[in-house]
Amino acid sequence: MGNTFPKWTNWIAIKVLICLGALGTAVIALAWYSWTPKYTRVGYMPQQPIPFDHSLHAGQLGMDCRYCHSFVESSSHSNLPNAELCWNCHGPGKVKSDSPRLELLRQAMDPNYENYTGEPIQWVQIHETPDYAYFNHSAHVNRGVSCVECHGRVDQMPVVYHAKPLSMSFCLDCHRNPDKSLRPLDEITNLDWEAEDEDRDEFYSQLALVKGVDKDALVSADEEEGLEWGKELIGKHIREGWAVNPPQDCAACHR
Amino acid sequence: MRWFFLVFAFLVITMIIGLRGRGEKFSKPPFELFPDMDRQYKVKFQKPSHFFENGMGSRKPVEGTIPMGFHPPLTKEGGVPTSDLDFSYGDDYYNTGLFGDLYGKGFPKDLEVNEELLKRGEQRYQINCVPCHGESGNGKGIVSKYWGFPPVQGDKSDEEFRKEWDAFNGIPPSANLLDPRVMAFPEGQIFWTITHGKGLMGSYRGTVNVKDRWAIVAYVKALQAASK
Repeated sequence: MGNTFPKWTNWIAIKVLICLGALGTAVIALAWYSWTPKYTRVGYMPQQPIPFDHSLHAGQLGMDCRYCHSFVESSSHSNLPNAELCWNCHGPGKVKSDSPRLELLRQAMDPNYENYTGEPIQWVQIHETPDYAYFNHSAHVNRGVSCVECHGRVDQMPVVYHAKPLSMSFCLDCHRNPDKSLRPLDEITNLDWEAEDEDRDEFYSQLALVKGVDKDALVSADEEEGLEWGKELIGKHIREGWAVNPPQDCAACHR
Repeated sequence: MRWFFLVFAFLVITMIIGLRGRGEKFSKPPFELFPDMDRQYKVKFQKPSHFFENGMGSRKPVEGTIPMGFHPPLTKEGGVPTSDLDFSYGDDYYNTGLFGDLYGKGFPKDLEVNEELLKRGEQRYQINCVPCHGESGNGKGIVSKYWGFPPVQGDKSDEEFRKEWDAFNGIPPSANLLDPRVMAFPEGQIFWTITHGKGLMGSYRGTVNVKDRWAIVAYVKALQAASK
């Protein structure tokens, strides 16, 4: 009796499996690497209509973030300033008002300019959560979460780019363990803040005053627990003091 | 099998070369798997909307209405609004700093000037005023590093003057708030100046709300008192 199947068919099943396995691995590796905001969003650096330099304004000149993003503390949305605010410094007779880079600003603001349109400047939004996730800026900055936690060192960026993934796990990591991201309220817009900058003595005195307990008791309680002076310790006290309890249910962000 | 792996290796290598690394800068809009869910057709903050004729999602309140959370316009008699969300649209002293055509002296009668208001004023002053007027109010903020005085024509030829004017790249000095001239300003005038600007100073009515403006006035008065 002749062979119905030729000899090579003995191995075909295994070979196909190996090939499929290799393909599957490659697809999974690709997905693992690139189907995440760490890949799709981080590094997004679009060109803005006016090349506004944050490293100059917020870094070198030391302007507060809230000079321009003025309603971040009272609104869920951190606003872009209106052109009038840019015009306050870059208007006629002031800083670089004739620069061709500010052409769009002049078109928007200078009624005496020949190309005046009055049209708003269409800035490109970089940090953009999906429309089904409702992020509230005021809830965060009023409870000690600094700008830098989500936006990175904007004061060092000549051109702003997307620095952190802002994925759902990024949010949840912090909501589950907020201590390392909380800081005193007056340092919210100080992107350079480190726990070492904080005066330990002063911090404990203030804390004792607010809590109405003895300062030395507070210090020794922390020392007994083996907590070292640093971000997490400061965050822990801020969380307890304000009863910060970040929600983790779906409805916290998705409505 | 050998052919498969050759093609496979080729694909993998092209992919590795073709893919940008994590965190590498790029300028095209990020990829979104379900764009219709990520970007829904609704009015969003400071975003264009094709639904409206002028293409802007941001709407002005319909005449005779008040946006949610804002307070109703005040009467001539004054008073202090219950909400912090307020921008001048009344014609009373609290909203204008004026009594008729004259700058008013003193704070609006229902505004309590206390430590809280001063603290708020200090914070808002640090944010909005310090770049030009400086921490102490002496007019030597960071901007003073770039001060320059515009050229004066005098007896220069037009061409010469034009050249000088084009080369001028400075900022005229900002006001020294501790100057006796400014110290003599009544509260209403400082409020009016923050609201409308003066000389080269622009208006801050769009970014500093009314109560914060009074808080800044209180803080400036405190700075002036401290410098005496």
